[in-house]
Amino acid sequence: MSYKIRTRILRVFVYSILTLLLIMCIVPIWMLFINATRSTAEIQQGISLLPGNNLMANWKNLTGRGFAIAKGFLNSSIISVSVTIITVYFSLMFAYAIHVYDFFYKKFLYGFVLVLVMVPMQVAIIGFFRYMAILKLTNSYIPLILPAIAAPASIFFAKQYLEAVVVKDLIDAARIDGCSELAIFHRIMLPIARPGAFTMGIFAFVGAWNNFFTPFILISKMDKYTLPMLVQTLRGDTYRTEYGSIYLGLALSIIPIIAVYAIFSKYIVSGISMGAVKE
Amino acid sequence: MTDSVVKTRKHKRGFNKNIYGYIFTAPFIIGFLLFSLYPLLYTFYMSITDMTMMKKSYEIVGFTNFTKLFSDKFFLQALGNTWKIWLLNFIPQIGIAMLLAVWFTSKRLKIKLVGFWRTIYYLPNLLMPATIAVLFFNLFSLYGPVNQFAVRSGFINDAIDFFRSNGWTQSILIFVQWWMWFGSTLIILMAGMTSISPSYYESAMVDGANTWQMFKKITLPLLKPVLIYTLVTSLVGGMQMFDIPYMLTDGRGSPNGSIMTLNVLMYMKFSSNKGHIGAAASVGVMIFIITCAASLLVFRVLKERDHYDKKKIAKKVVKEGNYELQN
Repeated sequence: MSYKIRTRILRVFVYSILTLLLIMCIVPIWMLFINATRSTAEIQQGISLLPGNNLMANWKNLTGRGFAIAKGFLNSSIISVSVTIITVYFSLMFAYAIHVYDFFYKKFLYGFVLVLVMVPMQVAIIGFFRYMAILKLTNSYIPLILPAIAAPASIFFAKQYLEAVVVKDLIDAARIDGCSELAIFHRIMLPIARPGAFTMGIFAFVGAWNNFFTPFILISKMDKYTLPMLVQTLRGDTYRTEYGSIYLGLALSIIPIIAVYAIFSKYIVSGISMGAVKE
Repeated sequence: MTDSVVKTRKHKRGFNKNIYGYIFTAPFIIGFLLFSLYPLLYTFYMSITDMTMMKKSYEIVGFTNFTKLFSDKFFLQALGNTWKIWLLNFIPQIGIAMLLAVWFTSKRLKIKLVGFWRTIYYLPNLLMPATIAVLFFNLFSLYGPVNQFAVRSGFINDAIDFFRSNGWTQSILIFVQWWMWFGSTLIILMAGMTSISPSYYESAMVDGANTWQMFKKITLPLLKPVLIYTLVTSLVGGMQMFDIPYMLTDGRGSPNGSIMTLNVLMYMKFSSNKGHIGAAASVGVMIFIITCAASLLVFRVLKERDHYDKKKIAKKVVKEGNYELQN
């Protein structure tokens, strides 16, 4: 067999594997959306790849049983937006300091941040819980938002990005023009770094939006529940056999993320590679 | 004289502006100390006490919590589960991601729409783990779509009660973890591969190396830093696995604790009706120590080899008289 024919056969094989993986990725999500529009009876009868017309009934059933989805959306949005702003701003500030200034513990500090990326901080949750309980901050969003000031992975990304875009001559020029250091950071650096800040922001947002563990430990009041915590209630007895409603609740919880991904997938995909490559 | 004036000014300005280095890094340092380091140290402290949620007073009991853990069959089971589930999802994850990355970057295959495939494969990683867990619980339930499909198309005669079987439940969890992470690993590996200079491959091709030889002698060694990164981040994440195992079944790792991971066990101790937070903290401390030790080991073992391989490549390159390539 010639090289060309072998290449062609290999290509067919590769494309069929790729298609198989594609189906594996899409079908569960597709089923989720389809079943959200079908009645429980239809769902139990069999699989369909086309939507049904039971969406409104599922919606009524879902919200009628205490699934406060609007409130959950609002709570999750408040937390995620605050976390995003804080993470982006402070990570860029930190990375900018490391990139532009020379100070005594700079090298140590940045090395320390790199190590932190690889340390399992989630396990400190028990101490964090008790500490917040002593400060009477459980059932408050402060412990969910403020720790975003120290986000090692974001700093790592910000540093990589600033190295590529910030020209030191520009900073010097601004200094000669009498710009203060704070003004340089806010008025010159932040606009330049906007695309990078945007990518960082998407990751921070998705991370906060999907975070289940921390709010689950800290928050017990029903009206403060975040979206993942509400989703978790779909596992409970309230919806035992109301499959249509369960699927609808699940679908609603991931629509925002899918929308964000549909619009910004390029930023996201390039963002992952940027965080990892380069030592 | 004017020269020295300029110099001192410059020096002075340099001194002034570098103060901002301290100012701009201060929020991180304060945030880290308050919200990460202190809770971590406090967790360590709690782990040597008999603290509970019920009473205010507590005593320092030394390493009792830890000795109890090692005679606790639940802890040993959770430890085994966590490693097993992580390893069984990580190996196929890196294997398939590597295979796909090689295909996508292959000049011979010239795969079309690489961006499209990657975008779809990454999608599961962004979805809410809570949603994914509840979704897969429903998909694999006794009357769920998977059973419907398998029975109707004649693969099996009777529906399988997946979540009553230890093996099936573990397999589903491993599959879900793999499903969520292979796209992410693929993108990272591809980024690593495309950053390797094509001249290495060109010179190898001139020497008559085949695809496998090039992969083994060029791609793998040069990809090592990226592989270490993937391995360590996956390890750190895998040791802290919680959302999916917690929500896939009843939150206690049922059936028979087959998907009870260390973090699930920690939560069970935390939320038990006695609220043994001292004991829960000791599980957290164990996760921390195990993860850090394993990461360090990975760095130790792989970094040394990395050094060795770089030398070997340099030697080979020098031998071939292609000096430009060694960097």
